[in-house]
Amino acid sequence: MMIVRTSAIIGAVLLAVAGLAVLTAAQEDDLASVSAALAPRAEGLIVARCSVCHSPDLVAQQRLPKDRWLATVEKMKHWGAEIADDEAELLVRYLSARYHPAAPDQLPPVDSELRKAEPLTQEPADAGPLVGVATRGAGIFEHNCQACHGAGATGGMGPKLAKNPILKHDDLFWETVLHGRGPMPAWGSVLSQQDIADIHTWLLTK
Amino acid sequence: MSESVSSSRRTLFKRMAEIIGGLAVWRQVRPALAQQAVSPETGPQIVRVMRPYDAETPVREFTSYVTPNHRFFVRSHFGPPAPELIAEANWRLHVGGLIEHPLELTLTDLKEFERVTITAVVQCSGNGRAFHRPKVPGVQWERGAVGNAQWTGVRLRDVLAKAGIRPSAKHVQLQGADRPVVSSVPLFTRSIPLEKAVHPDTILAYEMNGRPLPLLHGAPLRVITPGWMADSCTKWLTEITVQTDEAKGYYMQTAYRVPVTAIQPNSGLPGTSMVPVEAMVVKSLIASPANGDQVGWGPVTVQGVAWSGEASVAAVELSFDDGKTWEQARLVGEDEPYAWRQWQFLWKPAAAGAVTILCRATDASGQVQPQESPWNPSGFLWNGWDRVSVMVQI
Ligand code: HEC
Ligand code: HEC
Repeated sequence: MMIVRTSAIIGAVLLAVAGLAVLTAAQEDDLASVSAALAPRAEGLIVARCSVCHSPDLVAQQRLPKDRWLATVEKMKHWGAEIADDEAELLVRYLSARYHPAAPDQLPPVDSELRKAEPLTQEPADAGPLVGVATRGAGIFEHNCQACHGAGATGGMGPKLAKNPILKHDDLFWETVLHGRGPMPAWGSVLSQQDIADIHTWLLTK
Repeated sequence: MSESVSSSRRTLFKRMAEIIGGLAVWRQVRPALAQQAVSPETGPQIVRVMRPYDAETPVREFTSYVTPNHRFFVRSHFGPPAPELIAEANWRLHVGGLIEHPLELTLTDLKEFERVTITAVVQCSGNGRAFHRPKVPGVQWERGAVGNAQWTGVRLRDVLAKAGIRPSAKHVQLQGADRPVVSSVPLFTRSIPLEKAVHPDTILAYEMNGRPLPLLHGAPLRVITPGWMADSCTKWLTEITVQTDEAKGYYMQTAYRVPVTAIQPNSGLPGTSMVPVEAMVVKSLIASPANGDQVGWGPVTVQGVAWSGEASVAAVELSFDDGKTWEQARLVGEDEPYAWRQWQFLWKPAAAGAVTILCRATDASGQVQPQESPWNPSGFLWNGWDRVSVMVQI
């Protein structure tokens, strides 16, 4: 290995950078309020979009500046993370506000109740009974569920959903999809009720 | 994907969950900071990532020369392959590329080659990443992504000799059976230069500490490149390809590289000349006492381990005054080429209160463990002085 060890120079630079990493109290407050405001949606996205390939703890243990968060999210997208541009933009803002280099190792937990309370897509109040559209469901399944449940819902890392008895138990199906179970992410803050009904209808045709 | 595959995949997942500490931990989807998973099967490990499972060994385990299999750190990019892929009936090792005779070997065929055993340190290239400043992305390993074990298997050179290496060969590509959940993620494809591949101590191991290689450690076969970082020690090995060039792809051409010369922190991503992480650098750890321990007045045994890449450990020194003065520790126990060396020091605390113990090693080639390692964008090869803070009680 041919690393030239100029520790003295590096030491000096490290000190200078460490100085820059110290935030003023006001800056800390700003970051904290940005992170709190974005948390409900962003944490939902982390579970739904980022935990297909790895558990979200890999995300939460990083302490990075914005440019490196941006590069990381770009890399994940390139590798197959199903994330829209506006979602990626929101995530980068959240991640660089909550998990910045000066943030403590142990952060207070994001209030998970907050997340459950606020679905991403608001449903009209008088929506009436939901009627699923199978053709729409196929596309939504492909983008959100296929990575774990396999093409055609025949199973993968997650169980086979085609002909799965759970499809006949509406309440169980909705409960599992909305709130997640074990490694299965919660979709309540990512998909609309219509989206879920569409997936359900499509699954019944499989 | 057939139903049998999916259901056994699912079983594997469940089994892994049980292995890593029971359903209580498994059910936790919320991000959790490093947590201790304790189970009768794995013993305590510090979990860094739940899925794919990455966990380090608490350093207090390093008071023993050999790290037991169930405590040994676990790291992979995609988790173990589906069990049927590596079941003995299905598993084959393919040797191809620039060779005279392509080989397809079963585990029984492989065991026909001469059996060799080597005790060697295996260390994740990112061990200590959490200590780099500015911080860098990646699994935030602290001190325990390393271990010392006895590896038994066959020489890679013997297998390559049977295949017949062609003169134009320069690199040996290594591919395991592990696969990402989503196929657009690059495979963990690595290569090592031919000289390392035909080195008599580079082996394909099927046993770890006298037991069949455990699933999490690469069953049925993994590469051991003694003296080199673990990114060359491919697990679940199924394909060896002899070729003129280094392996292509993310995990060889982009990841696991460090700048040739020291660079300024936070600089040098594009355009910097980068070389693959290969040999380990000199390093030592304090295994006991542990951080935060209270120690008594009487003499305290400070002990730990030290190792280097391709040279033996020449000295280990301790400092109790922030590095102003250093005292020699005694090297004890086994002295084997690629293993770590244990050391001890009998310390008589001078006064009550908080004390930070620092530790550094020097190897036979004169490399000295530095206070801080050179910064690099992915945080590899950390070997800064180890430090443990204790409270001396009257
Ligand atoms: C298609 C699979 C996939 C998805 C989806 C995915 N990642 Fe990753 N991610 C990976 C892989 C592969 C690694 C490297 C893992 C390793 O080295 O063990 C990784 C590593 C990381 C790391 C560690 C730093 C690094 O560069 O290695 C972070 C942080 C991360 N991902 C964040 C995210 C975020 C945020 C999302 C959601 C936007 C996401 N990931 C979604 C595959 C994925
Ligand atoms: C990150 C991988 C992953 C993704 C993405 C995912 N699931 Fe799952 N899902 C699982 C796993 C794993 C289980 C099994 C959970 C358990 O063992 O308790 C599961 C279970 C389920 C179940 C219950 C099945 C049963 O037999 O009880 C349903 C229904 C389900 N998922 C629907 C969905 C839908 C709909 C989507 C897309 C909106 C989706 N999943 C996306 C991993 C995933």
